[in-house]
Amino acid sequence: MQRFLDPAVLAGISGLDLIAKTVVDGFVAGLHRSPDFGFSQEFAEYRAYTPGDDLRHVDWNLFARTERCYLKRYRGETNSQLTILLDASNSMNYSSHAVSKMDYARYTASSLFYLALHNQRDPAGLIVFDDEVRNYIRPSTRQGQLNRLLSGLEQAEPRARTDFSKPLLHFQEFLRRRGMVLIISDFYEAPETIVRTIEPLRFHGSEVVLFHVLDPKEIRPELRGPAILVDLESDQRLEVIPEYVKGEYCRKMDSHLQQLSERAHAAGLDYHLLVTDKPLDAALSEYLFLRQGGR
Amino acid sequence: MGFLTPWFLTGLLAVGLPVYIHLLRRHTTTPRPVSSLMFFERGTQSSTRHRRLRYLLLFALRALVMLLLVIAFANPFLRRSSSVSDRLMLVVVDNSFSMRDGTRLADAKREALKILGARKPSQRAQVMTLGGDLQVLTQPIQDSAALRAAVESIQPSDSHGNFGELGRGMRALTETVHAPVELHLFSDMQASNMPVNFADMVMPGNVSLVLHPVAKASVPNWTVESVEAPGQLVDPKRARVLAVITGHQTPAATRTVSLIINGTVASTRKAEVLPDGRATVTFDSLDVPYGASRCEIRIDSADEFPADDASSFAVKRADPERILFVHQATDSRSPLYFGAALTAAAQASFVLQPINAAQAADVDPAKYAFVVLSDVASIPSILENSLMRDVHNGGNVLIATGTSEAHHQRIPVFGESVTDAHFYSRTGGFSTIGQMDTSHPAMKDAAGWADAKFFYAAVVDAGHSRVAARLADGTPLLLDKQIGQGHVLLLASGLDNVTNDLPLHPVFVSFVDHTSRYLSGMERLSGTRVVDSFVQLRSATNEVLDNSQGAAVEIVGPDGRRPLILQEEATAQSFRLTHAGFYQIRFASGQEALIAVNPDRRESALDLIPDDVLRSWSGSAAATQTSVVSTAEARKTPYNLWWWFMLLLLIAAIAESGVASRYLSTQREEV
Repeated sequence: MQRFLDPAVLAGISGLDLIAKTVVDGFVAGLHRSPDFGFSQEFAEYRAYTPGDDLRHVDWNLFARTERCYLKRYRGETNSQLTILLDASNSMNYSSHAVSKMDYARYTASSLFYLALHNQRDPAGLIVFDDEVRNYIRPSTRQGQLNRLLSGLEQAEPRARTDFSKPLLHFQEFLRRRGMVLIISDFYEAPETIVRTIEPLRFHGSEVVLFHVLDPKEIRPELRGPAILVDLESDQRLEVIPEYVKGEYCRKMDSHLQQLSERAHAAGLDYHLLVTDKPLDAALSEYLFLRQGGR
Repeated sequence: MGFLTPWFLTGLLAVGLPVYIHLLRRHTTTPRPVSSLMFFERGTQSSTRHRRLRYLLLFALRALVMLLLVIAFANPFLRRSSSVSDRLMLVVVDNSFSMRDGTRLADAKREALKILGARKPSQRAQVMTLGGDLQVLTQPIQDSAALRAAVESIQPSDSHGNFGELGRGMRALTETVHAPVELHLFSDMQASNMPVNFADMVMPGNVSLVLHPVAKASVPNWTVESVEAPGQLVDPKRARVLAVITGHQTPAATRTVSLIINGTVASTRKAEVLPDGRATVTFDSLDVPYGASRCEIRIDSADEFPADDASSFAVKRADPERILFVHQATDSRSPLYFGAALTAAAQASFVLQPINAAQAADVDPAKYAFVVLSDVASIPSILENSLMRDVHNGGNVLIATGTSEAHHQRIPVFGESVTDAHFYSRTGGFSTIGQMDTSHPAMKDAAGWADAKFFYAAVVDAGHSRVAARLADGTPLLLDKQIGQGHVLLLASGLDNVTNDLPLHPVFVSFVDHTSRYLSGMERLSGTRVVDSFVQLRSATNEVLDNSQGAAVEIVGPDGRRPLILQEEATAQSFRLTHAGFYQIRFASGQEALIAVNPDRRESALDLIPDDVLRSWSGSAAATQTSVVSTAEARKTPYNLWWWFMLLLLIAAIAESGVASRYLSTQREEV
């Protein structure tokens, strides 16, 4: 089943829904559990009724037996809303092989949506942004939500450039309810800027995860001769030589990744580096881990 | 170094193409997109320098390819000295008859050994002799011992040398041997050895001729130039021997001439020889016993070249042979004229036996020297059959077609038909001889034929016959047809004085004499020959009867040995007389012959080729014994470099393809 998580294999499948189903079914099967197992149906605890609680959660059977009013609580009910912030800037269009960063981000997002809605019954929403918010799909578990989300992903063609500060102001308006916030981006920005911009999302009690999507050739580029490089976002041109790429660039990139990881953890943000030639299970595992309250 | 087609060098301008591509043209690099330039820094100058260095190898290879291509088309060649070891040293020693004079041959062999000893051991050499033809003694080898042995084994021959044969041999040799040939000729440079046409002795281009004359000056020499004696005689008192004594570069002198018969001096005469002149000596009788005798004319030896002081000849004494003359009963003229001519012949040794055609049925032709059919329209079939058998076995027939045969189609024995008849007298005229083949034995004496008038001639298809004479209108007059081992001579006119007036002319006696000698086999069975002449042993045709087919001939040479092996004696068609002396030959038909063989008398003229002719022959004014070797070593031969440049071009093209392919593949990855 591991081959269904391989981005190169998924690139041959048309339709995000099929990709998401393939990934999730394959992933869950790999866990040796039934795909119909629902976490949201699991009993968590009883809590004494306090005025203002919703009467729908009262365990009336228990009240009939004991004449005490308790609320029946289920696991995940407190932390189940999934919101994915997808970076759709032009830099996400880069690819050195069959799967671009944007494709990889789409596969990841669609798989997570499928896992959340179909398996977990969690509300899921999508925010597509570049230098501003381009699309917002409110988290919901309504009928057809998955199709709306996948449609939103497919319409999220990369353009413009990334700017976290402007759209993040709007995010805080959208993300008033606690849940999981997954940010999928290549994070070509200074680490302190990124963390400083994203950190407020956590103030609402949400779990914030940074999925850093990078192409393998962005981490270790190969340049056999002098070349003119063009910035996909700014169209700026720069002539570089292989010696610099082999040495200085790699050091800078490693430093960037390390700083971003450290600063994110320091701010209570979870950070994961997703390389586009690696399987998708890392992102799914992280989601399930957080969903189970692993933190 | 030079170029055969230097105009192609203008193509060197094409070298500018890679110069433009690599050095002058601005390089364009396809931009390569990246997500962000956040971590990149500019490095322009360094990259440009590196790029130029990187393509320098490709540029050099491309320029080299263009350069080699142009030079290869210009066809370069190199003048280089031909290596001594590449050249073939060809040592040719003249062993013709004149080399028997003094120490000429020994000097030639000594000089040849000296040249062979001076050569480099790695150089190949070959030894040949030049006599009547060019004989190869060794193959091109490096073995000094074998080469020395070959030179030391050279013996003088009796042949007549011919430098034209040397030229032809060298032209044939250079067709197979492409290496330069260094020809060393050791000869007395006899003037009589030169061919008629000087071009025959000119050497090919890659043969450098080095002459080694072993005779310093002309030597006075007396010789017996010729001997005229009958090959067969009946009456010794009627036989005469004429000997011509010749002096070459000699003063006036009196020479003693001896007639030696079977080793005994039979007669001696004195001859006054003028300075550088001739004298004729006559011996009035030739008293030889019955059978074949070995005779010799010898002069007293008073010069350095005694080998040519004698001339041999063979004489056969026998009873007169009979000639069967078949004629018509009404014809009495032809046997009369023919018999009179036969009797008048100087060396007459035949008796004519005339007979009517009707009476000739039971005659055996084998008992006669030959048979004459004179104007017989038909002969008894028994006679014709026996004649055919006799001719196949080596017998001969003379046929004269008179007017009686004009109305008959087929000529007996001859086999051909009379297609027409020319009666020149009916038109009030006559015809004369138009063409003559004087090499034919019957037509040796050409004088007087032009006066003969022919009033009648039968037209006979020549077919495979040899036409010895034709009339003025082209009608064949005398035809010689070989049938089996024998010959049939056909005179397309009569032997009387009616159809022509030939019997009235003196040439008729000569014609009858020569014809009789030829048809009787006397010419073949006796007399003298020149060294290197051939004796026909068998007919080349397949029309041979059983009794002679496969029968062996027997030849005994002057040294008493049999020069042919048994298989050759059973099959050889001819035999070359290579040595002077007496040959005894027993033919397949049982006839025996004693043939005297003498060297070519041109060898007795010891005059030398003038120096200017020798220089012209060797192709260099300095072509002397001492200087030509160094001249030959200094000769430079053009060596074509085309293949080498094409090979380099191939290597450069492959390298360029490899380098260019690597660069182009890199560019694709970068894009």
